[in-house]
Amino acid sequence: MRLRLALATAASLALALSACSSDVADDDGAEPASGASATPEGPWTFTDGSGEVVELAEVPTRIIAHAPAAAALISYGIRPVGIYGDESVDTDPNLDGVDLTGIEILGEEWGSIDVAKASTLDADLIVADWWPAEKAHSGLENSVKAKSKKLAELAPVVGPSQGGSILNLAEGYEDLAESLGADVENSQGAEDKAAFEKARDAFAAAMADKDLTALAVSPTADLLYAANPEFAPELLDFTEWGLQVVTPDAPDPDFPYWENLSWENADKYQPDVLLIDSRSFEEAKKTVAAQPTWTSIRAAEAGQLIEWPAFWLHTYADYADALTKLTADLADVDDTIGD
Amino acid sequence: MLLAGLVPVLAFLSVTQGSRDIALRDVLDAFGHFTQSSSVDDTVTVRLRVPRTILGLLVGAALGLAGTLLQGLTRNALADPGIMGVNAGAAFAVVGSITLLGVSGLAFHVAAAFVGALAATALVYTVGSLGRDGATPVKMALAGAAITAGLTAVTTGLLLTDLAAQQQYRFWQVGSLAGRYAPIVTGVAPFLLVGLVLALLCGRWLNALALGDDAARGLGVSLTRTRVATFLVVGLLCGAATAACGPIVFVGLVVPHVARFLCGPDYRWLLPYALVLGALLLLGADILGRVLGGTGELQVGVVLGILGAPFFVLLVRYARLAEL
Amino acid sequence: MSVPVLAVDSAPAPTQPAAAALRRTRRARRIRAGLVPAVLLAVAALLALLTLCFGSVRLSLDQVVAAILGAGDNDAVDFIVRELTGPQVKAAVCVGLALGAAGTIFQQLLRNPLASPDFVGISAGASVAAVAGIAVPAFAGASLPVLAFVGALVTAAAMYLLAWRDGITGYRFVLIGIGTAAFCTGVTGYLLTRTSLTEARAALHWLTGSIGQAGDTENDVLLVALLVLVPVLPLLQRMLRTIELGDDTARGLGVRIEPTRLVLIGAGVLLTALATAVAGPITFVALVAGPVADRLLGSARGGIVAAGAVGAILCLVADYVAQYLLPVEVPTGVVTGAVGAPYLLWLIATTNRRGMGG
Repeated sequence: MRLRLALATAASLALALSACSSDVADDDGAEPASGASATPEGPWTFTDGSGEVVELAEVPTRIIAHAPAAAALISYGIRPVGIYGDESVDTDPNLDGVDLTGIEILGEEWGSIDVAKASTLDADLIVADWWPAEKAHSGLENSVKAKSKKLAELAPVVGPSQGGSILNLAEGYEDLAESLGADVENSQGAEDKAAFEKARDAFAAAMADKDLTALAVSPTADLLYAANPEFAPELLDFTEWGLQVVTPDAPDPDFPYWENLSWENADKYQPDVLLIDSRSFEEAKKTVAAQPTWTSIRAAEAGQLIEWPAFWLHTYADYADALTKLTADLADVDDTIGD
Repeated sequence: MLLAGLVPVLAFLSVTQGSRDIALRDVLDAFGHFTQSSSVDDTVTVRLRVPRTILGLLVGAALGLAGTLLQGLTRNALADPGIMGVNAGAAFAVVGSITLLGVSGLAFHVAAAFVGALAATALVYTVGSLGRDGATPVKMALAGAAITAGLTAVTTGLLLTDLAAQQQYRFWQVGSLAGRYAPIVTGVAPFLLVGLVLALLCGRWLNALALGDDAARGLGVSLTRTRVATFLVVGLLCGAATAACGPIVFVGLVVPHVARFLCGPDYRWLLPYALVLGALLLLGADILGRVLGGTGELQVGVVLGILGAPFFVLLVRYARLAEL
Repeated sequence: MSVPVLAVDSAPAPTQPAAAALRRTRRARRIRAGLVPAVLLAVAALLALLTLCFGSVRLSLDQVVAAILGAGDNDAVDFIVRELTGPQVKAAVCVGLALGAAGTIFQQLLRNPLASPDFVGISAGASVAAVAGIAVPAFAGASLPVLAFVGALVTAAAMYLLAWRDGITGYRFVLIGIGTAAFCTGVTGYLLTRTSLTEARAALHWLTGSIGQAGDTENDVLLVALLVLVPVLPLLQRMLRTIELGDDTARGLGVRIEPTRLVLIGAGVLLTALATAVAGPITFVALVAGPVADRLLGSARGGIVAAGAVGAILCLVADYVAQYLLPVEVPTGVVTGAVGAPYLLWLIATTNRRGMGG
């Protein structure tokens, strides 16, 4: 009888309830903060990307950070107590080579943060990029679940603003780390910055010798999407350093990130080189192989396809690597192919 | 008759109109002197638009017929290939092959989608026919809904953990005729053609089924054999169609209602009407999407939803649609 | 084929002495109609408490009860129970109740087991509005729950008006619902292809449906709506019975059929809209709760409370599995589908024709 089954279920549930123990000891009182040894005296202030000035009586030592922010802070010797990311810590390019031992992982998927676990960490600061368009910090955007957004109730949230250049972020995290007591001069971060400056100068020098135009595209089976650099800070940086990234003249008015080109119109722009999102580079090559009009773009015909490190760069170290690779990739590109 | 006459008209429009402006003369020329090293206009005409037109006609006809067969079989006005687990099975197979097996590329998607769609349809029928009273319409409909929901859930679960798969899936899920060229068309066309012929032969059975199970048995029709056979044909048609174009909703759902409105409930007439109407609807919507999209294109799935649905709603409102 | 082991009811054989059998059946049905919802609600309550204890931070029953009653002396526990897991559980229960109730109302009203709100366009309308809120820059910053709620109501109102022609027939309403759903799916698909990858991801999450999606205010609105509905439940239940008799019989009994239908549709739509605003379009709960409850209720089938309770149990279990038992946290809708589907299949495979209303 189904009813008896239900009653039995109810009884066993009640039994299970009476037998559960607790992770949280009943003697109240937060654990003492165990931050960096040479913590400067408070009070502490920082101007968030939103323009708001955050003030605390003590310099924060127990930090929860979004994965890219954590990578930046760790390079200056500031170790967060917890991190949350947009994807698995094993695949997140921002965390490649970053030592995470002893750091609590609070989320490995966009939009879900284990706030209950976070609340046991006694955090006094949360660090993540500020997105001016969304008016929110990374991981706490409007469309994120309300229960994950309660993270912001645990401690103030600060971070540099996303904007017209990746350097906004890199410099912002440098400043933040310094205010938190990092010895910026003698850190890994300082070496990274020097490496970045070298890579950038090499890139600019290489570009100065040539007259290269580039179009950033995302090919799909149905359409060829041409990226609008206005919405990709690294593309704006490339243009400033001498690689002219084409701005499409008719982006979709409702979704200005792209101009949608049907495959019939694939030859509308004729750049010297095509930049393709590095996250789907191999996949994209397969997609375009089946498109008869792909080679109507002369750069495609000549095989001048370059990986585009799209939308994820945050730190000097990663930017240095990306620029060095880009310089090498562009070295043999013929600049007379496009219009 | 008049409807059938519209097919070549639309086919002509489909080859001459598109998001790229090509003069009529150049279109005609393209067939005259086409070689590998010809101009972009020639490539667009011969290698893009011609296969696309053929595919549009075949897939539209297949979906229209499959929908009519399913609604007759399940005697449920809500039955469409989507509800029978076809799209969900195909989607699961596509996403699964990307995330679990690591294969990618449109040709793999097509093969995976075909297998997935067939497997899901078979599963729906098997589950629906378990139990004392065999495959009743209600049980099949519920089994289809259940399998759709279950597979969709697993698909989403896989997708959420794999960004690259997400990127591919969100374009696949709309349903489109763009970017499907000769190898894919020649790959699925035999399945579609065989399916179309078999489907047209099912009219007498469906007429018997429409009278109710007992009456059908009285007429000497074997219920089980009829159901299994019809379901197989549906699986073949929808599997091949979904494999080629992604999940195109709406055609399978709406065409039977429109056909019934035009020619009454006799399935021997309904089926040819559904075939022609389906082909017209899909190709017409695709042409609109190409012309309206500027330098881009609107996927045919989007056009069908945005323009077709209000039309259907008006039809339901002002015409008296036959109940099943 | 043998008689399914767990089939609850079999129609009384016609040869039995009629009067005694009828009395016995009626009594059994009354008891069952009262007992089944009570037991189901009790199971839901116990599951809720269990979920509070066995979250990612494990708490003892004393701590949980103390925190709920406001007698706790531990700030960390209070924060977790009152701010995090408590609202989550409350949302799961409320969403489940609302979807289960709305599903069974729609299925009985439209006399089609597939006619749950997720199939006839209401959830699809909410989805378009919410995805637009995520993807269209012009809507940036708008509240997704409010958009979803408005989207669902506007869609439902449009469907009702379009289906009106000297009254509503269930058949026309269902067909218009399908058309509307196709329209909304088309728009949603269009929005999805035009967004950036991060927005597409956000949209996909929302479209799958997740308990904990909306904040406390939305949860409270849903709770209030459910509480308001409690006193009118017997009335709704009677209305459903009338509708079940068919239009002509009902009219013969002097029932005005259109207002009855409007009230029932209104109740179902409101519940669905609020539940979707709170959790997104969680699939399957509305579809499956009614048939499952009917299996338990036997001849007293069609009970709104029982269907609601089944919905609540399903949501609670799915939410727990989605949050804690899987290697990565997934939206609740993934689990309701993955858990609910096999169960429904098993039901289909073992049921007799009467049990499934077919």
